[in-house]
This record gives sequence, structure tokens and C-alpha cells, in this order.
Amino acid sequence: MELPSVLPTLLGLAWLVPLASFVAILFAGPRMGHHGRGAARVATAAIVTSLVLSLAAMVGWLSQHPVRNAVHGGHAAAHGSADGGHGSDAHSSSDHVASGHDGGSHAADHDAGHAASPVAYSGDWYTLYEGGRLKLSIGWYIDALTVLMFVMITFIATCIHIYASDYMHDELHDVEDHEVHLAGGGHFHRPGRYPRFFQALSLFCFSMLGIVIAGNLAMVFIFWELVGICSWFLIGFYYERKSASNAANKAFIVNRIGDFGMLIGLMALWGALGTLNFADTTDRAGDSQPGLFSLVRPTVTEHAQWVPDGMVKFAAADRIAVIVRKHAGDPRAAVDEVEEQLDTWRGEGLGRWLLLVAGLGIFCGCVGKSAQFPLFVWLPDAMEGPTPVSALVHSATMVAAGVYLVGRFYPVLTPDALLVIAYVGAITLFISATIALVANDIKRVLAYSTVSQLGYMMLALGVGGWLAGLFHLVTHAFFKSLLFLCSGSVIHACHTNDMRKMGGLRRVMPWTAGTMLVGCLAIIGAGVPFVIGTSGYYSKDSILAQALLFSRTNPAHWILFYAVAGGAMLTAFYMFRLWFMTFAGEPRDHHVHEHAHESPPAMVYPLVALAVLAVIAGWTLPGGFSIANMIEQARPAGTGAEEAGGLLFNSFTIPAEHESHEGSVHVVATWTAFLTAAAGVFLAALMYVWKVISPSMVAAVFSPLTAFLVNRWYFDELYAFLFVKPILAVSRLASDTDKGVIDKIIDGIAWGARQVAGIDSWIDRNLIDGLVNATAATTWSAGLELRKLQTGHLRQYIMFIVLGTVALFVLASMLFRSTLAG
Amino acid sequence: MTASELSQPAFWPLTLILFLPAIVAAILALPLIPKAKDESIRWIGLVATIVVFVLSLWMGVPSLFGPLGPGQFELGEPGMQAVVKQPWISAFKIEYLLGVDGISMPLVMLTTFLSVLAAAASWPITKHVRAYWILFLLLETGMIGVFVSLDFFLFYVFWEVMLLPMYFLIGIWGGPRREYAALKFFLYTLFGSVLMLLAILMLYFASDLTKLSREQLVAAHVVSGTLGEPALSEAVMAIQTSPTPLHTFNILALSHIGQLPESPFAAMRFWGMSVETWAFLLLLIGFVIKVPVVPVHTWLPDAHVEAPTPISMILAGVLLKLGGYGILRICYPICPGAGLALAWLVCGLGVVSMVYGAFAALAQKDFKRMVAYSSVSHMGYVMLGLGVWSAVEGNLYQSDAWAQGVNGAMFQMLAHGISSAGMFFMVGVLYDRVHHRNLEEFGGIFNRMPLYSSLAVAIFFAGLGLPGMCGFIGEVLVTLSSWNYSRLLAVCSAFTVILTAAYILWAIQRVYLGAEYKGPHGEDLTPMTRRELAIAAPLVVLAILFGVAPQLLFNYVTPTVNQQVETLTAWTRSVHDGSRIEHAASLPASASLSEGSRP
Repeated sequence: MELPSVLPTLLGLAWLVPLASFVAILFAGPRMGHHGRGAARVATAAIVTSLVLSLAAMVGWLSQHPVRNAVHGGHAAAHGSADGGHGSDAHSSSDHVASGHDGGSHAADHDAGHAASPVAYSGDWYTLYEGGRLKLSIGWYIDALTVLMFVMITFIATCIHIYASDYMHDELHDVEDHEVHLAGGGHFHRPGRYPRFFQALSLFCFSMLGIVIAGNLAMVFIFWELVGICSWFLIGFYYERKSASNAANKAFIVNRIGDFGMLIGLMALWGALGTLNFADTTDRAGDSQPGLFSLVRPTVTEHAQWVPDGMVKFAAADRIAVIVRKHAGDPRAAVDEVEEQLDTWRGEGLGRWLLLVAGLGIFCGCVGKSAQFPLFVWLPDAMEGPTPVSALVHSATMVAAGVYLVGRFYPVLTPDALLVIAYVGAITLFISATIALVANDIKRVLAYSTVSQLGYMMLALGVGGWLAGLFHLVTHAFFKSLLFLCSGSVIHACHTNDMRKMGGLRRVMPWTAGTMLVGCLAIIGAGVPFVIGTSGYYSKDSILAQALLFSRTNPAHWILFYAVAGGAMLTAFYMFRLWFMTFAGEPRDHHVHEHAHESPPAMVYPLVALAVLAVIAGWTLPGGFSIANMIEQARPAGTGAEEAGGLLFNSFTIPAEHESHEGSVHVVATWTAFLTAAAGVFLAALMYVWKVISPSMVAAVFSPLTAFLVNRWYFDELYAFLFVKPILAVSRLASDTDKGVIDKIIDGIAWGARQVAGIDSWIDRNLIDGLVNATAATTWSAGLELRKLQTGHLRQYIMFIVLGTVALFVLASMLFRSTLAG
Repeated sequence: MTASELSQPAFWPLTLILFLPAIVAAILALPLIPKAKDESIRWIGLVATIVVFVLSLWMGVPSLFGPLGPGQFELGEPGMQAVVKQPWISAFKIEYLLGVDGISMPLVMLTTFLSVLAAAASWPITKHVRAYWILFLLLETGMIGVFVSLDFFLFYVFWEVMLLPMYFLIGIWGGPRREYAALKFFLYTLFGSVLMLLAILMLYFASDLTKLSREQLVAAHVVSGTLGEPALSEAVMAIQTSPTPLHTFNILALSHIGQLPESPFAAMRFWGMSVETWAFLLLLIGFVIKVPVVPVHTWLPDAHVEAPTPISMILAGVLLKLGGYGILRICYPICPGAGLALAWLVCGLGVVSMVYGAFAALAQKDFKRMVAYSSVSHMGYVMLGLGVWSAVEGNLYQSDAWAQGVNGAMFQMLAHGISSAGMFFMVGVLYDRVHHRNLEEFGGIFNRMPLYSSLAVAIFFAGLGLPGMCGFIGEVLVTLSSWNYSRLLAVCSAFTVILTAAYILWAIQRVYLGAEYKGPHGEDLTPMTRRELAIAAPLVVLAILFGVAPQLLFNYVTPTVNQQVETLTAWTRSVHDGSRIEHAASLPASASLSEGSRP
């Protein structure tokens, strides 16, 4: 079998198996073993199957498209192939290899590694809507990134399923929920919900994989919403708790705000271009229809970005109207003249704004999903969900979907959109890192850290570091899910989230302490400069390098580099603050400490597996395989080159990514990363290990600032004041308008009509003649009389109805015949 | 009526579907069944609706019943099918003219389907059972009649037939304020129908069959295409050579007349406006009251809150669709000139309803009122989709986006029929138990009634427009299509998704989530009965099925809608070309630049 048909089958199955598990648990969950214990096995078996299928797909991929070592210099982090994006290579997306799938399968298949267009297979499974040129479908777009994401997601999900099968064991019997306060006092008891947890987890895996495999933006949007609702279910898992259901609603609604923007982006693309497909497709007639990527970066421009024809025409609607009127009666001539004018119009910049709006709109969706400023407020609250959910949904996969989509959609984003993304990322990473400094809830520290790291990725993508951002997405997924699972292990042992009650746990929980230390080292990017390091060392360095290169190229935007460097120091500080407070020193609360114990094997094994990956995920294997090199295979055509922007900002240049791995940029970036991280750890040690500086004293000295941070910059209060209250006020106004204004008018009219009818309906009937009014008045006064009939007997009503209906038919024919027709 | 006419293969299916409920109603009206046997009456009524539903399935989904036979609906065929034509009041050429196409067939099936479910939901009604069922069945005939009538007068008659049973069903079997709600419903709708009647008569007297070509006369079923050759030509000649104008109530013929280059509707004027504009506006008022759109929507919350559960299901599931159907079937094809000029009005009303309805829903304390306002908001999508006439000069008359909007609107109507009926039923299940609807006094229902709550949450998600559920497809198609008509309206319609999520999730939280039930009669929160499950489950299944496989509905809708949109696009082009030729002599090229490029 050929790869173009094998891959969609393998990954399609890997995508659907969790859905099958969801359906099975939905209908048979409680009957699966004792209290539904079997549900965990079903869900785990499903996700393991997905993992195996994904790995098979990866093997298949690598056998056909071996990853080459594209490393220059001493740095192991891969970078763009030198000629990537300058494609003089003409055989790009235009040569399709149709395969046997319905809807047609495509492969822009050619010499991998140094080609202008990446290798990608795409096609449609089935159609949702088709009308004229427009088609919305469910399909696939598979490139190296897709395959890698599948393996990453299913691997982490497998770990988390195994972990959760033990972590959630409380749900196997009746639960007494201490966080629920009943009105009459007393404790709240409920049956366990073990199967429901795994049911939602399976649905989530299906939805998440759907985003990754999606062949078009409409499908992304569909699964975007579905992961949102899974997240709603999982955050609200303890739905008896008001805080949990509030958090679930907040997450979904805040995400919908992002989706509002995303819809605008979709409309801008769909309305002007008539397609949301990433890759080119073949229509029924067998003609090739360009997808988004080749519309925005066609071969004629050698994959440099331009405003596609559709957008130019859309922006030139008024001029086209003039041309059409000029050639009235000769549509062919009008079309020809429009085609002639296109390049002139494009030169004038028509449609540039539309392309920018499209890019920023799609990015809005990513802002919501990936918890970026200003929509990041939902993610910390989402920690109300069980910890395995936080690890899978709210750190490793779903929240990274926004970053993934920016990476996937990268060719269409204009330089100005990218710079907006970079600034949003910078603001996000700074704000959330500062809040993490003072948080005492172990999961909230990790939540803010997640927000901050997602900001890093966004910033990296925005300054031209396509590879750096996506690479960090993968490495972060490993170490952040590890960190969350470790925190879950701690919470499991201590029954509290409050780090102030912990301390000294390394002695009772050595495995958890050890693996979490690995996670902390990975997130701060620990390593021996220029030699070897944890996975974070490679991905974070490449982000720093790209940010530095960008700031050097555009000195006006120097702050972006300092945001990254400063953020790195804050990250190191709060992560080691977390580790020191939890595991180091002496126990602060003996009650907690006495009951603490190491977690069972089913929870520890996943920690070890993830810890191993957190260390090695950045390494390059002897054959040249590395995650970074594999991502690089998927680099969109034309995105490795320098690009200039200047629509929203003063003119600036987004530097080519491969330049950031050379010379002084690379050296400075590596040392900056090392020194900032070391400084952060050192400071944390000073405060929490050696106690040279007292944390409480620092908090007291900067008390207004501390209060500001503890209250999370007052964002929740601000949004309540700016948005929630006004919206509720408007909604009350609308409701009151109905009752107080519109209904008053209607009642008044009804009253008036009744008075008129009451004077003498007999006069009415006699005064009004003629067909129109006779018929109208009959029904009119009949309606008014009906009220009186209400007091009568039912038999009368029915008689009236039957008679009335018959009379309408008969009267109508009689009247017509006698009065007018003669 | 001759024997040969009755033996037309197409005559019986539609006629039976249409009149069977009325016949059963008439039988129930005879005192055959003793007064005490309420149960028998219920069963007779239910079986009648089931038979009608099966008949409509036989007609609409013939593949379930073997090879395609006469009188059955052929998928993919855009035109009118199963046309039944009998003279009725021949002095005015009023005919018993029925037919279905891709627009009306699914709506008929929706009606018969929801009638079965509503009939099953009518079991708890114990007051005047016989009268209730008679009215209920009459209502079904009225609703089906509106969807299948191709004669404007017949359409009007059914429109009125539907009105009266509805009035009584709310006014007698409703809640505490039923009389007020029923009268309000009646006055609103009556006002609309009076205007509609005016428009019908205007169009009738302005119409002239002599202007139509032979093909148009055949296509409109004015003369039967099945006539043999000499007879056909003679019939056509008789019409075309008539010395006096030949008026007609035939909706298809009126559409052809309305789209003529020299449409008499556009030429004739009253008080400064053409007949076309008058008729469009009058009809539009009549239809939008039914939809309903803001600001003529206030009958809906009251009617819903007071109506018994099954009637709410019918009201939301079917009656609201009549407005959208009327606009699509009558307003646009017959008055295209006014439709083009007033597209902004239709779209604007739609978007105002979407946003206003969603805001109002957010403020409601009564569960059923909240669902009622969600209907206002959701039906706004229908209006917007119907109105997005974006095929104009500026985009080279590309009709795809417009067709998408209309297809989306049609889908939204059908999807809303499923989801809103489901939502009202779910509210009814709770109301039957605890006898209140105050959103603040629920909570904890999920733990008390897990099966019911799962189904309810699923149906509310369909209302939320969650992908994979039926609500999503219509909303997303309409929203995406609106961009090409107006950016402002598109952004407003996209904004609604936030409000929708807010009011639905908030309601779910207050009713189903939480630890304990806060209202009265908590002890009555018994699990769902089998009857209730039998009503709710099909709605949930269909909501998911249509969300996952929307093609099931688009297979019906798209061919017909696309044909209509293409026809109107060609009409737009011809009008613009024509006006250009008209002004060519007097206007320099630059002068025509200043004319608005968009309607």
C-alpha cells in the first residue's frame, strides 16, 4: 500500500478509536465491572491502540521521508534548511498524486528536506455542505507535524489514562465531597463517577486528535468547539461544587469570545476565497482547486506571501461593479477586464487589510484556547478539574492547540499579524509569570506557568520562530504534563493544594520528588551550555535566539527579547520556589506530612516515562533524527525567508529563522538562557532553602505589589466591571423593554380594538363592504368576539371551530362568485 | 371532479397526508366514543398522527419503502413534485393546487414527526380530552396545508385554519395567564394575516397570465404538461391570446410573473410604491410576526409560557417555520425587485432578533421564557440567511454565498424544529413534576434524574450550536455567508455565539448542576417515564444525526434552493443590464459610477 492511503487510514483509525471508547462507556459504562472499573481499561485500551497506530504511522512516515540532520554548528536544536523558503523549486503543490480515497487524496510529494513545499497528504472523508464552488468537508491534512503531534498526544494521553485509573479510585465507591456545603449543614454524599471521567477523557482525545488531523479550518473549528465542551465536562467534573461549575462555564464562555474572533477570521477567508482547505483539492470535474496555503503563497511568487485574487476582488467590489455596468450584457468582457486589473489593484494594496483581519481573527480563537492575554483568566480557574485533566487538557494538549493552529496557519499570517502575536505572547508570559511568583496553590503555580510558557510559544511564532515555537510546544507538553502529574501525586498524598502546608516531602515521596525535579530542570531549560541539556534547554534557547535576532533586526522592538529573558528568570524562580516549598526543608504541617506516602506504581510509572522524555525530547539521535528536525520537515513553503511588514506598525522585518542559529546570536542567547535560569534558581534557593532572605519580609516590603499580584492583577474584577455587568444590564434592559414598552403598546392596541368592537360590531359589518374588508373584518371581529366565548361551554367552541373552518371555505367561494365574478 | 382526475397517481398521497388528521378530528367529534373513554381518544389521536407520519415518510423517503413509485418524492429533483391540481372556485381560478419540493418536503416531514411526539406528550392533559384532540388534529392539517399549498388563496385559508385551533389550545389548556397569552397571539397573528390578505389580493389583481410563455405556463402548472400535444397548445393559446388580463392565485405562476423583465408588479404603483414593494412589505410583516422577529415577537414568550408542553413543542417546532417558509416561498420569488431592495431589512431584522433575543434570554428567570427567547434568537439566523442577497455586480453575480445562506437558513429551520421542540419538552418534564419554572429554584437535577438530565443537556447543547449537533450547521453556514452581504451584520451575528453560550450554560448550571434541589416539591423528582423517554430520545438522536450527517437534509434542500437562487441571480443580472441600457444614452460613464454598487 502507498503511504498516501496508509497514513489517513492509520491516523484516521487512531482518531476514531477513542470515539468508539466514548460511545461504549456512554452506554455501558456503569456495567463495566465493579462500579464501572472496567471503563478505565476500555479507555486505556483505546488510547493505547491509538498510540500504536500513531507510532506505526510515524514509522511509515520516517521510512519514506527520513529525517535528515540539518544541524549546523554545535547546537543540537535544528533550524531551517538553508534554502527553505527561497524555493526556486517549481514542482511544488501543483503535482498531485490522486489516490483511491473518495474526495481525492493529494500529495505534494517530492524530494524532502530541501524542497520548497513540505510533503503533505490531504483529502476528504466526507462532505458536510456543498453548494456551487463552496464545500465544507471533514478531511485530513497529514504532514510530519501531524504525525508527530499524534504520537505526542496519544503518548501523553496513555500515560495520563494509566495514572488516572489509580488517581480517580475514590470515584469507585460513594464519595463524600467536603468541598460542597449543603444548605442544612452536613456532608454531601454521592455515588462515584469513575466511568464518566473516562468517558469524557475518551471524547476529549477524539476531539483533540480531530483538530490535529483536520484538513481544513472548518473542521478545526468543529473540533475546537468539541474540545471546549470536553473541557467544560472535565472542569465541571465535580459539578456539585459551585466553584467547579462556575469555572467550567467561565472556560467555555471565555473561549467563545475567542471563537467570535475566529468566526470573523473564517468569514473573511471563506467569503473572499471560498475555501478553508489547507491544501489543494480536486473538484468533481477533476480540476485542481487551490487551498489556502497555495492561494496566499503561490508558486508564481516563489511562495512569498501575497494577497490572493479573491481578497483583491472582494476589496475592489465597487470598482468591479463599475466594470460590470460598463460591459452590461457582456459578462465575459467584464470578467476579462477584472482579471486584467487584478495586479494593479493588488499593487495598490487592496485586500491587504482583509488578509490581516483573517489572520488576526484566527489568532483570536488561539488567544482563547491557548489562554493568552487578555483571555487567559479561565485557565487558572480550570484547575477545579481533577489533576489528570489539568495535565492532559489544560497543559499538554488542548491549550497548546492554539499554538498548534498558529503554526499550522502560519503561511497565511501576515508579518503584522505575527508581530501582534509576538506582543500578545510577551504580555501574556510576563503577566502570568509575575502572578505565579506569589501563588501558593501548587496547581495554580503550574497553571500560570502554563500560561506563561504558551506565551513563550506565541512570541516565538510571532518573531519568525516557527520551528522554535512548535518545538517548544512538544517539549513543554512532556515536561508540563509531568509536572502536573507530580503535583497530582503530591495532592493525592497530602489532600491539599496549599504549598504552605507541605515541605520535606522528598523523604516520603522520593520518586515524585525526583521526577518533579527533572520536570523543573526541563522547564527552566537546564543544561551544560553548548554541550547537552534537558529538552527545555534546546527549545527555550531557540526561542531566545529568535527573539534576540528579531530585536537586533528591529531595534524598536527590543522589549520582546527582554520579555523572554526576564520571563526565563521568573520561570526559574517560581518553579524552584515550588519545588523547594514542596519537597525541600522540613515539614511545615506535621498532620499533612504524617499521612503523606509515595503514590502507587500505576501513578509512578507514567511519571518516570514522562521524565525520561522531558530529558531526551530535545536530543538528536545518531541517524539525525530529532523532534526538531522532524517538525522542520513540515515547514510551510516560504516561511523560512525574511518578510517585511508595516501595515499596523512602522515598517519592520521578520528575520529568517535559520539565521538565529548562527554566530553571536546563538552564543548570546545560550548564555542569556543559562544565566537567567541560574539566577532564578539561586534566588529561589536564597529565599526558600538557605533562608537568607525572608519571603515574608520581601512580601511586606513590596506589599502593594504583592497584593496586586496575589489578586492576579485584578483581571477578574476588571472584566466583571467592564463586560459582565454591562452585558447583564443590557439583557435586563432588553427584557424590560419587552414588558414595559412593546407589550404596553400591544395591550393598548388590543384595548382600543376591543372598545371599537364593543361599540357596535353590527355597524362595522354593515359599513364595510367589498371583498377585501369583508373578509378581513369577519376574521377580525371573530377574533375579538372569541374572548366572550371563553366564558361559554366547550361544545360551543368546538362547534364554532368546525363551523368556522367550513364557513371559511364555503363563504369564500360564495362571496367570490356572487359579488365580483359576475 | 371527474374520476380520471381522482385517479391521478399523485392525488392521494398529499391529499391523505393533508386531510387525514382533519378526518380523524371529524370522527372524534361524532359521539361514537363514550365520554369517559379518554384513553381511547388519546390512542386514536396518536395513531392518526403516526399514520400521517408514516405516510409522509413513504412519500418523502421512498428509499425506505422500495423503488420509487408515483406520488413519491424524488431526491435531487429541484422542481415541484407530486402536484395535485383540481379546480375549486373556478370563477377566480382558485384551485386546489398542492405540491412539494425540496423546501417543503422536509418541513412536512418535520411537521408530521413533531406531531407524533407532541401527541405522545399530550398524555398528561386531562381537561376536555376530546376537544383537545380534535383541535390538535385540526392544527396538524392546517400546518401541513400551509406547507403544501401552491395556490395563494388556499395557502391563506390554511394559514387561518391553523390560527384558530392554536388560539383555543393556548386559551383553554394553558397556564394561569392563558387568556391574555391566547388573545395576544391571536391579535398579533390576525393583524399579520389581514395584511397578508391585502397583499394576496393586490398581487391577484395585478397578475396577468397572458404574459407568460408556454414553458412558464407548464412549469407553473397553469396548464398541465401531461396533456397531449394539440390540447396543450390549445390551452396555452387560449391563455396567451386572452383579450383581458387573466388573474391568478397560482404561487408558481405569480413567481414567474414577478420575475418577468416587465413585471406588472413592478410597473403598477400605489401611493408612490410599486405593487411589488407593497406586497413584499405586507407579506413580510405577516410572516415576520410568525417567525417572530424583534419588535413583533412579544407574543411568543407569553404564548410559550402559558401553552401546555405539547403545544409549545408544535409552536416552536413548526409554527415559527411558517414565517421563514413564507418569505422563502412567496416574498422573494414573487417580489424579487422589492426583495433585492429590501434585503437589508430582512437581514437587519434577523440580526436584531439574534442579538436582542439572546440578550433577553440571558435576563430571564423563567426557564420556559428563556427557551422562548432562545427561539427568537435562533430564528434570527433564518432571517439573516434568507436575506443575504450578495449576488450583485460587485462580486460578478456569484450566487454561491447567497445560496449557502438560504441553505443554511433552511437547515436552521429544520434543526431548530428538532432542538426547540426538545428544549420545550425537557422544560415540560420538569414542570410536570415540580410545577414551577423558576431558574433560581432548581439545582441538583443531574443527581436526582441522571438519564433525563443527560438527554436534556444534549438537547441544550444542540441549541447552543455545538458541532456534531444539528444547531451548528445552520448557524455556521448562515454566519459565514453573511460576510459577503455585510461585514457589520456578519460581525454582529458572530457576536451572538458568546451570548448563546452564556445563557444556555448558565441555565444548565442553575438547573442541572449543583448539589441540591432548592425548590418546592423536591420529592416529586421521579425518574423519567418510558413515555417521556420515547419522546426525548428520538429528538436527541435526530439532533446528533443531522449534526453529524447534515447531507441527509441538504439532499432535499439544496437542489431546490440553489435553483431558486440561481434563477433570482439571473434575474438580478438581467435587471441591472436592462437598467444600464435604459440609461446608456443619457448618462456619461462616470455618472453611473456614483450609483450605489450594493443594494
